[in-house]
Amino acid sequence: MREKRRYLLLRIDPPTPDPDPKDLYFSVLDSVTSLYGDAEAARMMPVVISCGSGYAVVRCIRGYEEKLRIAIVTLTSVTERRIALHAVATSGTLLALRRRVSGLSPVRFETISPLHFRDREYTARRYQGQKVDLQEKGINRQELLFLTQDDLEGL
Amino acid sequence: METDACIHPYPVGTASVRRMAMEAGALGFGSIVVPGEVAGVYHGVRIIPAVIISETDLRRVIGQIRRHSNSGNLVFVDAGDNGFNRAVLAQKGLNAIRCLHQIPKKAFDHISARLAYENSIAVEIDLYPLIHEKGIFRQRVLNRYNDLMRLHSRYQFPLILSSNAFSVLDLRSPDEIRLLCSLFGMEKDDTNWALQTVSTLISPVESVMVAP
Repeated sequence: MREKRRYLLLRIDPPTPDPDPKDLYFSVLDSVTSLYGDAEAARMMPVVISCGSGYAVVRCIRGYEEKLRIAIVTLTSVTERRIALHAVATSGTLLALRRRVSGLSPVRFETISPLHFRDREYTARRYQGQKVDLQEKGINRQELLFLTQDDLEGL
Repeated sequence: METDACIHPYPVGTASVRRMAMEAGALGFGSIVVPGEVAGVYHGVRIIPAVIISETDLRRVIGQIRRHSNSGNLVFVDAGDNGFNRAVLAQKGLNAIRCLHQIPKKAFDHISARLAYENSIAVEIDLYPLIHEKGIFRQRVLNRYNDLMRLHSRYQFPLILSSNAFSVLDLRSPDEIRLLCSLFGMEKDDTNWALQTVSTLISPVESVMVAP
């Protein structure tokens, strides 16, 4: 008999670039297994349904939503990329969550002129009004700094 | 007002204090505690300055507590061995003791717990290792916090909760913190209370004197 499922809508920080769904799945599974063990992960059956536009939808067996949310709180990276996932909504149907996602305004980025800061080159990206993310240019080091528009004016 | 009891912005971390305040506000916090920062408000989030004393020499620690106690900063001390903790918890002017997950098992015992309660000194629960560590290290931290909750249920000393975030990606919302705290047996009411304890550290509740 088919088990009842629950779907979680997660907000991805930083919203871009979107992680690969397969990599995200392995990271979520690793978090769940690390916290609760193989047996509980097998009962929970976490699955990544979709990932894009700064949001991800994951699924689990009903009754395990809270444990999945806790495991997701402890997820800090996908492959080498630092990430944070925040649960936005939980639903019994995928349709309800997809309606919710379609109602959310997409994150719009504005690339601003490159910045020279602390003897390093950074590309700068502004979004949601005041948020400015600086990504260091380079092959080996790609430091990510999080500032605001007010900080940029002070630099 | 829910407070993240310690964050570390740039240059120690990778986010400016303004960005940390903005993100903390979006997550649901009303204030954040920032060591070495100036008091202020940004995007509706109050920034509370603090001083962290990491010395191991007790006399220096006591001297620093006395120096910073009326400076408008919250005063935090990193915990040490049993004798150190008992001596430090007897000091007036100290607001919180931290890093309890790094000290030996019996370094914070029932006497330290009673001193913390009597002097209204909060004990910090650091959420950073719960989020970032795995395996045996995280198990040890959970074990330590389980012991702490047993002492707390008996002695009712104040607790504060810190993400000790170095980046906006390390911040967690109050709801997420409540979920994390359930891992070591902290009830929702205790977590709610701990999230609001910093407000009482800044303006302690004093007993009312009734004039005859």
